[in-house]
Amino acid sequence: MARVVLKDLTKRYPGGTLAIDKLNLDIADGEFVCFVGPSGCGKTTALRMIAGLEEITSGRVEIGGRVVNDLSPRDRDIALVFQSYALYPHMTVYDNMSFGLRLRKFPKADIDKSVREAARILDLEPYLDRKPGQLSGGQRQRVALGRAIVREPAAFLMDEPLSNLDAKLRVQTRAEIARLHQRLEATMIYVTHDQVEAMTMADRIAVMNLGVLEQAGTPQELYESPANRFVAGFIGSPSMNFVDMTVADVDGTVGLSSADGAISAALTDIQAAAVRRLGSRSVVLGVRPEHLDIGAPADGGLRIQAVVDVTEFLGNDRLIHASSGDYDIVAMMDANEPLKVGDKIVLGADPRHVYLFDAESGASVAAA
Amino acid sequence: MTSVAATGEVPGGGAAGLGRAALRRLRPSRWVINLVLVVVGAFWLLPTVSLLIISLRPEGLFTTSGWWQVFTIPSQLTLHNYKVLFSNGLAPGQVLDSLVTSLLITVPATILVTTVASLAAYSLVFGRWRGRTTIFLVVVGLMVVPVQVGLIPVTRLYRDMGSWIGWNPFGTIPGVIIFHVAFGLPFGIFLMRNFFMGIPLDLLEAGRIEGANEWTLFLRVVLPLGLPAIASLAIFQFIWVWNDLLVALVFLGGNSHQPLTIFMFDQIRTFSASYWEISTGGIVSIVVPLIVFFAFQRYFVRGVLAGAVK
Repeated sequence: MARVVLKDLTKRYPGGTLAIDKLNLDIADGEFVCFVGPSGCGKTTALRMIAGLEEITSGRVEIGGRVVNDLSPRDRDIALVFQSYALYPHMTVYDNMSFGLRLRKFPKADIDKSVREAARILDLEPYLDRKPGQLSGGQRQRVALGRAIVREPAAFLMDEPLSNLDAKLRVQTRAEIARLHQRLEATMIYVTHDQVEAMTMADRIAVMNLGVLEQAGTPQELYESPANRFVAGFIGSPSMNFVDMTVADVDGTVGLSSADGAISAALTDIQAAAVRRLGSRSVVLGVRPEHLDIGAPADGGLRIQAVVDVTEFLGNDRLIHASSGDYDIVAMMDANEPLKVGDKIVLGADPRHVYLFDAESGASVAAA
Repeated sequence: MTSVAATGEVPGGGAAGLGRAALRRLRPSRWVINLVLVVVGAFWLLPTVSLLIISLRPEGLFTTSGWWQVFTIPSQLTLHNYKVLFSNGLAPGQVLDSLVTSLLITVPATILVTTVASLAAYSLVFGRWRGRTTIFLVVVGLMVVPVQVGLIPVTRLYRDMGSWIGWNPFGTIPGVIIFHVAFGLPFGIFLMRNFFMGIPLDLLEAGRIEGANEWTLFLRVVLPLGLPAIASLAIFQFIWVWNDLLVALVFLGGNSHQPLTIFMFDQIRTFSASYWEISTGGIVSIVVPLIVFFAFQRYFVRGVLAGAVK
């Protein structure tokens, strides 16, 4: 159990590619942190630098109060669960799980106790004598977890551990890992490209893009007040709608409208003040599909005139794709909403659900 | 070794979906295929079987009647030749001495090549140093150098070693072993390196995190997974060195202990040949590689890596 601190962590490959640029993050003891981002954003590289598998170009990694930059992986007291599981195919499940402890010359009885305890927690008891080749994907995944927990490391690192499982098993194992975290109260750093995994499991999410930490916060913080357009678009499913708007400041009221005027918005006083401070003629408006509804609110807010293109029935909900000018607007509706393809509709949203971003930097201008 | 060719696997279902029915009509029945395989196998076995029977018949019969007569007159079979061949025990120049000499050359040469090649391949694949690929390409390039090219330079090198360090390996068993190891390594490294390339790097990284050092990773992870390749290399190397005549003739010229190949060669004389000794010695020299082959064969398990990674 340990606190993990990343200070100005930077990775530059020999070719000159900057994989990670000054990553700063303080992970508390016992915290579950997810690194999320699209592929190539540097999240796995960051994890591998914490593990010691990747050299650190500059900056430092602290685990449990000690700088581990120059320590080899085995001296960092961490466990890593690989995306590929990386089980030793020639060893039994028992030997796979006990490998690390045997290398560290633990007494046989202690090893046996830890392995059996981990096997009990993970429902692996019947399989201890089998080889990984004789197990299903889900079971192999649990062996990989078991190998990590028997060592009782200071921190657990997990690199997309669920991406090789089918959808049903993934949901099941997700819950298992969350339970495991509550039970062990261990520091866990989890890398995934799936924001749903991050939202459901993490205490805190670190969103990365192109080697830069875009925002770190609780799932709710990221959902409700994204720091920029990238985070807003990455967190939430289906993702947020974005529209380029022109600012019209007439007679002290700030309004926004799209190029063809089909989308318009009246801002709250706070939002208007923020837009005035920005001093730009253009701004990007964002609204989440689940916040859109049929009919514009009477007291201003967002108003979108659109034509229904596609409707997708999801059981409880219905996903509407509607075109408004050049934009494809996605809205989440009640499944019973009687909409047909070709219907002309007006979609609206409450002004407090309208997000505004700087058209150039993408930074949030005013969130609620 | 002849039995290997007859048991080659037939890969299943290679044809694409379309036209499969047409192909099936053209395909000969299982019966015909089996018959062809049996005939080919028998052809491969024929020389070895005849050699065995010749060695089991009295010497005088060789010039008067064909070996296939044993099928009508089984009473011709006798172990007499073997008794005579082994009767002189370990005296130099006798078959038993040659058998021991062959083993003294072949076993160390095989062990050294597999060990050094595995270590070199480990470093070439999993090491983190510059120039790995270049070194590997140079080693592969060395594979084209034929053994014959090395005979004279190495002889001179051995002689020079005599004046440098006071030990001239020429004419000694270690001299032959060193030569075989040097010329066996390029192929050995090539084979092992290509096999190790297939071992997922994740396994080694997992091991490094678990607490293993490079030696532990080599001995406990890479070596067990590399067993099929090591077994193949060991068999190749063993048979090459076991069957070598040229290198032994050059480097063991004056030695009183000669390997089996030279022993057999000596039985061919200018005006006659001792066929009973050639046939009997030939069978003796086949038996050892056969034992080695069957001992290592069980390591050719396919798909040992199954279950390592998804």
